[in-house]
Amino acid sequence: MKDELRDLPLVKAPDSIWTSIEASLDTSIKPQPRTWRPAWAWAIAAVAVAVLGAAAWYSLTRPPKPAWDVVRVDGKLTEHGKIQVGEWLQTDSSSHARITLNNPSVGDIGTIDVAPNTRVRMVASRPGEQRLRLARGEISASVSAPPRLFFVDTPASTAVDLGCAYTMKADEDGNGLLRVTLGWVSLEWAGREALVPAGASCRTHPKIGPGTPYFDDASQALQDALGEFDFSSGGESAVDTVLAEARVRDTLTLWHLLSRVEPAGRLRVYNRIVDLVPLPKGVSADRALQLDPETLKLWREELAWKW
Amino acid sequence: MVTGLSDREISADIIESCRRGDRDAFRALYEAYKDKVYSIALYFFHGDEAAASDMTQQVFLKLIRGIAQFRGEAGFSTWLYRLVVNACMDGARRAKPREMAATAAVVDVLAGPDSQERDFAREQTARSVRAALSALPVKFRLPILLRYFEDLSYGEMAAAMNCSMGTVASRLNRGHKMLARKLESLR
Repeated sequence: MKDELRDLPLVKAPDSIWTSIEASLDTSIKPQPRTWRPAWAWAIAAVAVAVLGAAAWYSLTRPPKPAWDVVRVDGKLTEHGKIQVGEWLQTDSSSHARITLNNPSVGDIGTIDVAPNTRVRMVASRPGEQRLRLARGEISASVSAPPRLFFVDTPASTAVDLGCAYTMKADEDGNGLLRVTLGWVSLEWAGREALVPAGASCRTHPKIGPGTPYFDDASQALQDALGEFDFSSGGESAVDTVLAEARVRDTLTLWHLLSRVEPAGRLRVYNRIVDLVPLPKGVSADRALQLDPETLKLWREELAWKW
Repeated sequence: MVTGLSDREISADIIESCRRGDRDAFRALYEAYKDKVYSIALYFFHGDEAAASDMTQQVFLKLIRGIAQFRGEAGFSTWLYRLVVNACMDGARRAKPREMAATAAVVDVLAGPDSQERDFAREQTARSVRAALSALPVKFRLPILLRYFEDLSYGEMAAAMNCSMGTVASRLNRGHKMLARKLESLR
């Protein structure tokens, strides 16, 4: 049989694929249209040139600050600009913006759509790290970089991109909500981690960090009980509700709960998971209940096929 | 006949040129891997040419747009096949509600261009293998495709699939057994 597998023919990719790729590349590097500038702007620019002359030596001896391209839309007005490390970008109720994660040293790795009433800051842009801070509001990220290169800091967590698309919200009090639409995101905070796949969400809370992830199609009762458990000391009764409401797919939630419940409740969570999905070969019940990291990882990898 | 990667492994110079945005280097990179990526996608998506083309395009666009970030700490092909695995898994998730067992008609798309010239018995065997492969669950189909189209080592497959080598070995072993059983019933 292995010989038969090796004999399977390689299929030639249609030429149309490269044509489509080239078209997409051309679109992404198309020059931005020039925007009209009023006369006073030119006067200010002339003054600026003089000031720049005085600062020339200083600027020539320093490398240029990394910057991302920004297109900001306010009603029908479109403004093109850049945001540099340390700078803030703020939208009001009638404007939104798109940031292209791009600079000469790293290329184009994705886009961030900044919703109205949002405040973000560019924290870092270097080859090994692209980092944005979301102080409040909502962003939608679509990232094609290798995993663990793009980070979004919020008041209650850091979203680590693992090759994905997602939205992240943060309110005035620092509470957050991550919703993943493609791939995976890891939410991390002070040693606490939640792995969130496409179709799932996770709430975050200041001083607590990420809650327990859940699929968006999980029952409302399960989602409410998780909120109680994670952020309102819901305790045993909240866990009872989660266990009762869980479907096969909700083993995502149960797997995370295993290491978050009190030791006395761990066996109940374990039993519910194996009720829903039999324990795979190679996963030891004892080690899982002892929260052995390698065992939990192996178990998660197997369960993930149901997510 | 499936060949190993080594004869067409992309050079560090081409990757470096890609990092500088050289369009010819992008093309060279694409040419080196396109048929393998497309074949995996085609077998993975039950012979659906549109889905395979979309996935191939998506993988190479991500690769090209992200290559400036590629630091060479992991092998280039490891990164490429991780993109392939992610794209396959995302495609499978989206298709799950409407996914059906592969039919002979769909799998026939996978017949090679020279299939009519082949010996009838050999073609029948290949047809059976394709049908059996397409009917395997995703978790067993993917490692078999990576193993036999790309000739990846267990370590490379583990890195691409983000799991342990033990898991890879176990899935390959179980995939082989399931494939053998399906082939028996198809013959």
